[in-house]
Amino acid sequence: MMNRFNHLPTLKVDTAQKIAFIYKGKKYYGVKGDTVATALYANGIRIFARSLKYHRPRGLYSLDGECSNTCMEVDGIPNVRCENTLLKDGMVIKEQNVKGSAENDWMSFLDKLDWMMPAGFYYNVMHKPAKIWPIAMKQIRKAAGLGKISPDFEMPGKFDEIFLNTDVCVIGGGPAGMMAALGAAQKGLRVILMESRPWLGGFFEYRSSQYKEGETLHNRAGQLAKEVESFENIRVFTHTAAVGTYNNNLVTGFQIGKKDDVFNERYIEIRAKSVVVAAGCIERPLIFDNNERPGVMQINCALRMAKTYGLLPGKKAVFSIGHDLGLEAALELHDLGLAISCIADIREDGQDPVLLKKIQDKNILFLKGWVATKAHGRKLVKKVSLASVDGQVSKTFDCDLVVASAGMTPVTGHITVAQGTLKYDNHTGFFLPDQMPDKMHAAGRLLGLNDPLSIEASGMLAGLKAAFDCENCSIGEIGEAKKALENLPGPVRGTKLVTAPVKGRKSFICFDEDATIKNIKQAIEKGFDVPELIKRFTATGLGPGQGGIPGHNLPLYVAKYQALPDISIRPTNVRPPLVPTLISTYAGVNHKMFKITPMDEMQRKDGGIFRNIGVWQRARYFSNDLSCKKEIENVRSNVGMLDGSTLGKFRIYGPDALKALQRVFVSDMSRVKQGRIKYSAMCNDDGCMIDDGVVIKQGENDYYFTTSSGRAGQTAEWIRYHTRYDGWNFALVNLTDALGVINISGPNARKVLEKVVDIDISNEAFGYSEYKEFKISDTIPLRAMRLGFVGELSYELHVPSSYMKAVWLMLKEAGKEFNIQNFGVEAQNVLRMEKCHIILGQESEQRTNLLDVGLGFLWDRKKADAKTIGAVALHQAEKDQTRLKLVGFKMENNSRAPRDGALIVDDKVRGYIATARDSFSLNEAVGMALVEAPLSKIGTRLTIFEDECGDDRIYGKVVEMPFYDPEGKRMKM
Amino acid sequence: MFLKKKPMWGKKTKLKSSYDVVIIGGGLHSLATAYFLAKEHGITDIAIIEKNYIGFGGAGRNTAIVRANQRTQYNVPLYKEALDLWPVLTKDLDYNLMFNNCGNLNLMHSEAAMKAARMTIATAQFHGVESHLIDAKEAKELVPALNISEDITFPIHGAMFHPPGGVVRHDAVVWGLARGAAKKGVEIHQQTEALGIGTQNGKVTSVTTSRGVINTKQVLISAGGYSAALIYDMLGIKLPISVLTIQAMVTQPLKPVLDHVVSSGAYHCYANQTLKGEIATGAHMDPWPNYTTLNTAHYIKHQAEALSEFLPCLRGVRFMRIWGGLADMTPDMAPIMEGNNHVEGFFMDCGWGYFGFKSCSAVGKYMAEYMATDVCPDMLKPFALKRYQEHKLMGETAELVSYSPDN
Repeated sequence: MMNRFNHLPTLKVDTAQKIAFIYKGKKYYGVKGDTVATALYANGIRIFARSLKYHRPRGLYSLDGECSNTCMEVDGIPNVRCENTLLKDGMVIKEQNVKGSAENDWMSFLDKLDWMMPAGFYYNVMHKPAKIWPIAMKQIRKAAGLGKISPDFEMPGKFDEIFLNTDVCVIGGGPAGMMAALGAAQKGLRVILMESRPWLGGFFEYRSSQYKEGETLHNRAGQLAKEVESFENIRVFTHTAAVGTYNNNLVTGFQIGKKDDVFNERYIEIRAKSVVVAAGCIERPLIFDNNERPGVMQINCALRMAKTYGLLPGKKAVFSIGHDLGLEAALELHDLGLAISCIADIREDGQDPVLLKKIQDKNILFLKGWVATKAHGRKLVKKVSLASVDGQVSKTFDCDLVVASAGMTPVTGHITVAQGTLKYDNHTGFFLPDQMPDKMHAAGRLLGLNDPLSIEASGMLAGLKAAFDCENCSIGEIGEAKKALENLPGPVRGTKLVTAPVKGRKSFICFDEDATIKNIKQAIEKGFDVPELIKRFTATGLGPGQGGIPGHNLPLYVAKYQALPDISIRPTNVRPPLVPTLISTYAGVNHKMFKITPMDEMQRKDGGIFRNIGVWQRARYFSNDLSCKKEIENVRSNVGMLDGSTLGKFRIYGPDALKALQRVFVSDMSRVKQGRIKYSAMCNDDGCMIDDGVVIKQGENDYYFTTSSGRAGQTAEWIRYHTRYDGWNFALVNLTDALGVINISGPNARKVLEKVVDIDISNEAFGYSEYKEFKISDTIPLRAMRLGFVGELSYELHVPSSYMKAVWLMLKEAGKEFNIQNFGVEAQNVLRMEKCHIILGQESEQRTNLLDVGLGFLWDRKKADAKTIGAVALHQAEKDQTRLKLVGFKMENNSRAPRDGALIVDDKVRGYIATARDSFSLNEAVGMALVEAPLSKIGTRLTIFEDECGDDRIYGKVVEMPFYDPEGKRMKM
Repeated sequence: MFLKKKPMWGKKTKLKSSYDVVIIGGGLHSLATAYFLAKEHGITDIAIIEKNYIGFGGAGRNTAIVRANQRTQYNVPLYKEALDLWPVLTKDLDYNLMFNNCGNLNLMHSEAAMKAARMTIATAQFHGVESHLIDAKEAKELVPALNISEDITFPIHGAMFHPPGGVVRHDAVVWGLARGAAKKGVEIHQQTEALGIGTQNGKVTSVTTSRGVINTKQVLISAGGYSAALIYDMLGIKLPISVLTIQAMVTQPLKPVLDHVVSSGAYHCYANQTLKGEIATGAHMDPWPNYTTLNTAHYIKHQAEALSEFLPCLRGVRFMRIWGGLADMTPDMAPIMEGNNHVEGFFMDCGWGYFGFKSCSAVGKYMAEYMATDVCPDMLKPFALKRYQEHKLMGETAELVSYSPDN
């Protein structure tokens, strides 16, 4: 294990506390505070993975997980970004995508075959002859992909979700973000501060340079963090990456749980009045030959390895950088014991003279206008070649570490994902925010600022602007903050060099997809001229790290190669999630969302087998006999009870209530009489039936009506929409959940009900198709209807939901002597089918209109067409002989019933079976089918084609409907 | 050896002042129609006018699933032919379209869904397309990752298994067709916007573009989600089309774990593994019409919740990218293909919803025939606009249509 520094104030590890973990079956130790990546590095592991296409060795490159270099399998979970994952006791870590081991991968010969694999080569090979493709494809699939997951993998851990509201949400807990949070919090606003690292401090946290006289940046970060934490109205989420920004300032992210948290990860969704984005910068990779060889790493990676984790990343280093941070890092690491052979700076000038002086004092070789051209070493860096930017002069140095970085690149994903736009800025070389989304403000380094005071001042300004959005800050105060910022150093000039002067065959612009500079040239020469298209053709930026590595370089390179002017340099699209996010985290607690009726529990106790039906859970069967023979026979010969609470139930009242009903129902609703039930239907503009139900008049312009269960949710909107221009005065109340429904049916239904109610319910006093309101025991109000959906004597009782159980139990008790039984939705389905009562969606579909199902008699043709939705279409359809019509049929030769959904055919499809069953009541197979009009005549022979029937057909014959009790005596008895 | 220093779909050329045919939109239906016009009918003087770049819209945003298990007899033969064409096109274009004939598994979560599936399966079998109803256990044997326990929101009752379907590399189809068409002389003009169609005496005479006016006698608009708006703006023809954003997403790449396209209507979710190893998933559209192609926080969470239940091993996998495209929905989920009806020489091919990719090969072939002969091929006859005037929806979906502010 490597020696660690343990004296640095910036350390985030506790070297005294060891943590054991398993890597490739062997036990290793890290220390508390380590990430998986730093723990491995400390144990001398340099090759973490192999690359996707060429199986090139890959190692630690950045510490923020922008690429797949350090994606590993941790505790069975694939593609874990080891740089961002804290080490835990007992973790089991494995390499990914290796044949052999990461150290010795026998597929690495592919690296020499890159000439066979130019950009998009796979489109030109493996399809001739055609039969080789399926074989090749199998191999491609095996070779592709990074992590492995088993089909029976069970994700361990707990996942949670929270939904928050706040005034200001600040993304980024660095100096700018903290200042923004403080600015807004001082105005009395509620602030949420999100930081993806486990601690606040950002760009200041790990640096020892001077903030001001006698104070380091590190100290300043601590001071700001303390101040932030002292505000009760700032809620800080550390180790929380913001992964999405959406319309109206909805911010999503995920939080990694700490040791004592009840969750491993938690999905967070925040609705903010205003958002500040202070996500800082990452580094823009420097592209040269073998620029991803283990041993090559970015400035912050090398610096933070030492300062945060106490690990000196190498022994002898060469720096090839384009930013003052590189000089600062070189000096610090030099002081910590790193030998530095040379610092090559892309820039000819513009360096901080103080830093230059120090470099000179320490006798470090410094080359201006130079750049790394090639890293040497088969697996690890052994040497590096440098050259002047123009490629004229070159030198080679021995080293085991190359710190390479072309410059900075702003993290603007939160802005563009929220529809903000970027514009290329010639001074910084950045894509800077151009049009910011409404109530979103940018601050800090992503604006190109580098001076600590400027970074803070821009944070304060953004915080106040956010406060202004919340109407808690004056224009004057913002003006002052603006002035303060303007008096400080502005954005720094950035470098623009993308690639060293090399041909680019082994210069990688995208690590995840093994895409080289040469590949980009190939794509451009094939006519792919837009970065977005080149991205697709070469897969650049489409890997696990998305645009993290190539996002900035690709458009710069494409513009340079095509010699485009600055103004036409366009960034490629960034898409959420901005950090790859676990499906289990997004899923959170994963609620099941179904409505249950008041009888749910009781019916389950009675042996009900439940099904999801639309938004409801309903008892479909009451035994394992799915033909429901007993339930059906009991209703036909005795008495049964059904929970019909899912039925849509509405009251409509007010001066124009009748007009509204006239508009949506096809019948003349002015003829609905008090005390009587009116069955009617609603159609859409095509005359197609969308709903049916009964309407009851309770008073002048006061009606109670039912709709089908599946439709209840839409009914209110349907009526509102179709009366939207009329300005009518009526109110519509959805009573679906307020009232439950008990359907008591069968020849003994009256005998049971009589025992419970105190009014006369004889056939004379309460006849078929009548409606009554009364109370049980002066307490429980009932609305009772005599309906006959199942074709027997039947009462539908509408009961306040809170009384449902009581009434149900009373009826059950009263029915005991008759052996009353439950029946479920499937029994009802068969019973009503024998009676040829239709269920929408079963005997009808999108194409079926009112006339097609034989309900034309409901339509009042004398009503003005404008009064009835669908009337125009119905008039037209009356003459149309090519529509599907609903018919009843019986099977020939005592054949079994066809399966629902079987087709009616001749040489073409002529219709299909809606519902068919072997009827116990009739002792034969019957059903209803939708068939083309010419086949709908009584006596027509129907040829039935079932799935898997081959050449066999079965036959039925169109007969009169209904099949059961055609005179309807039983429901009227 | 592979590097040809030649743009795949021809060098950038000047826009001529006249073409035999102008096609507005540089997506798959346009490219396929142009390709077949040139190949089968010898009409090569064609300009494809694309505002952005080819494949910018639905062609590059779909999830590349192909199948022929539609609901009605009008659709099945068309999609069957489209399926049969993938290997043919791969050969003719000499471009590997990477047809992964992995089969589609459509999960059913209720008795009602099983009935609906049976009708679809019978229709497929009647037309000689392989498709079977299987139970939950058989589904699990095919897709070991499937959760067939009772204890999920929508327990799996069974599935419709459709072996001839699969996935095709969508970008390859765009580039292959573009290259194939360009080789035969078709001109593809990118970054060129069509601004209007000129007519005289009820006949098409010209197309105005951002780079000048083109004289022509035949115009096809097949511009995906933008077709309905363009057709209304340019010719005043109102179409019963609502445009909605539809989102899709992929996970980080994995070694093979899912060998079929698995979809579920109840969960509003489908998933398949791309050749690169990503799990591509998507399904439902935004609940209201919009042209934004924006992503929403709700949708990616919804997908995660659904996948967590029926493919629970994916809980250990990360989403890495989500994007949006447009679906131009008609009330009956079937497209509108029409020609010489309102204006002589004007053709439209639109309203594909989210079926544009799987149909493009066959539609290109038949639209080309339609345009070359001015006679509507039998295959396309059911898709005429007049079905809406006659209130005769095609029934490609069984769902009732609620005309409301939302569509």
